[in-house]
Amino acid sequence: MTAGARFLAVWLTPALWLQMPALIAGRGPDGLWLALALALAPLVALASRSRAPAPAEAETAFPVAALLLAVGLLLWANLALAGDAAVWLGEPRWRGIATAGAGALLLVAWRGAGRAVPALLLVAALALGPPLLELARVAGVGPRAAWERVATQSAFRFPPSSPWVTEGRDLRLVHGGAALDFEEEHRLTAPVGGRLTALTVDGDRPSETEWALAPGQSVVLRAGDRLQSGSTARVRFEADKQVPGSPPSGMAWAAGNPPDWPRCAGLLVTIVFGAIALGRAGGRISRSEVAWLAGGGLVALFWSQAWAIYSILTSPDLFLGGLTAERLLAFPAPVPESIRSASQSCLLLAGFAGFLASSVALRERIAALDRTGDGAIGRDLGVWAGVFAIAGLAALWPVDGWSIARLGLGAAAASLGAARLVSHRPASPAGAAVAGSLGLIAFAAIAVAGRLRAGDEGWIGAIVAYPALVAVPLATLALRVARATAPRPRPRPRAR
Amino acid sequence: MRAVTNRSAAALLVLALVAAPPVIGALPNQIGAVRAAGVSLLWWYTGLVAPLVAALVALAALPDPPRRDE
Repeated sequence: MTAGARFLAVWLTPALWLQMPALIAGRGPDGLWLALALALAPLVALASRSRAPAPAEAETAFPVAALLLAVGLLLWANLALAGDAAVWLGEPRWRGIATAGAGALLLVAWRGAGRAVPALLLVAALALGPPLLELARVAGVGPRAAWERVATQSAFRFPPSSPWVTEGRDLRLVHGGAALDFEEEHRLTAPVGGRLTALTVDGDRPSETEWALAPGQSVVLRAGDRLQSGSTARVRFEADKQVPGSPPSGMAWAAGNPPDWPRCAGLLVTIVFGAIALGRAGGRISRSEVAWLAGGGLVALFWSQAWAIYSILTSPDLFLGGLTAERLLAFPAPVPESIRSASQSCLLLAGFAGFLASSVALRERIAALDRTGDGAIGRDLGVWAGVFAIAGLAALWPVDGWSIARLGLGAAAASLGAARLVSHRPASPAGAAVAGSLGLIAFAAIAVAGRLRAGDEGWIGAIVAYPALVAVPLATLALRVARATAPRPRPRPRAR
Repeated sequence: MRAVTNRSAAALLVLALVAAPPVIGALPNQIGAVRAAGVSLLWWYTGLVAPLVAALVALAALPDPPRRDE
């Protein structure tokens, strides 16, 4: 039972499973496809499980180092999400990061924490139930009717009960202060004053305008205007106006975009090989292990769909400036404060329990690789304190957790994914290390190049966005060369 | 050997189930957008059919057979 629960906890780390409803709500069927890939990738990884290395094989430090890098990136993504959630709930960013990081580090320091992983996963799953039931009660319809209502909306408009309409909110809360594009005329009021900067279109010429608003003053933005990032005012929007950043209509949301084949391929390679790299090698596959992975994936996918659809049905203002995972952690529906705080507590408990389970399972995964050190790295508190400290410090800067999680999966896929697939006659550990290093270097080089020049289309754009698309085949090729040139092992003499 | 073959076939089948939604989305005449019981075919497949079939395939084909001494 624990093997399946641990792989599930390694894979469905909150930065990934909380991303599922955000992807579905934000991108419609394209996001649902991503969520499906995330839910089913562990089953593909399980089916592709390679043989366990023989105890006599010399081990290199490369797999441990590569996995530690991937784990560090995943922890960074999770802690960034904890910081985002704290800010969205009105707390300082560091408090969310420190609470999540300290809790996980305490559990990681406990040697017997591995036994708690199934219980933590069950707590997370159970805590997700009541808020979903409450959201469905507020919506007043079943999931199928809710989908139909969302998909037939003519536009996503601010409801009169939205906090963006009633008391107003700080624009810096919008997805790291992202720019807002307006599709129709909109009056913005600053209840306590502040500074707004907008790119307005006057005739054919765009011009930048800045307003220093006194308390209660308003400004009107027209269709085509863009409210620039860096605006610092708390603003109130008008009710029944289209939410800037939302899809044009429910039908457009339900139809999605035509598939971008290169990016689909890049994403699939990153997710599937990432899962293969994070799964363990060798060992029997029990029915309970498969049941944990299949059941966990189904629960995560079905919950994410329902949560996404009910959220945008009850609070279309979630689309403001782009939908992110932490916004869905705050209970979105207009309900009495006591119910809201109870539901929020359940959601935070689920996220925290999931993060604890994931941190412990990632530690166990690395310890299992460290055969020469007898798993000592899993018990080395200094190493883990360092990893958490670096990830926590990095998370103090607002970053997109999904991008960091993708980076972690891609790094794991490029360095370890290819070696996990070779089953019948593997290369020597040194050959596998060289191939993995090559994949990782290629991955890092393309990722850095992608930061320098973004916005490419087609295959170049897909490779820049998902460097594993090149790094995994490169590592596989290097591994095959290493395997072909390695001396064949002598057959063992038969016992008489 | 049979277990390995079954497992490879299961892996390919699950992978095909995962890879199918973009193909359905690209079908001519927007077949994926056709509604059945109020929900689009693409959504029925991606949100319900594919994950359930994949889970059943995995449960049937992935576990090792029980040992004789178990």
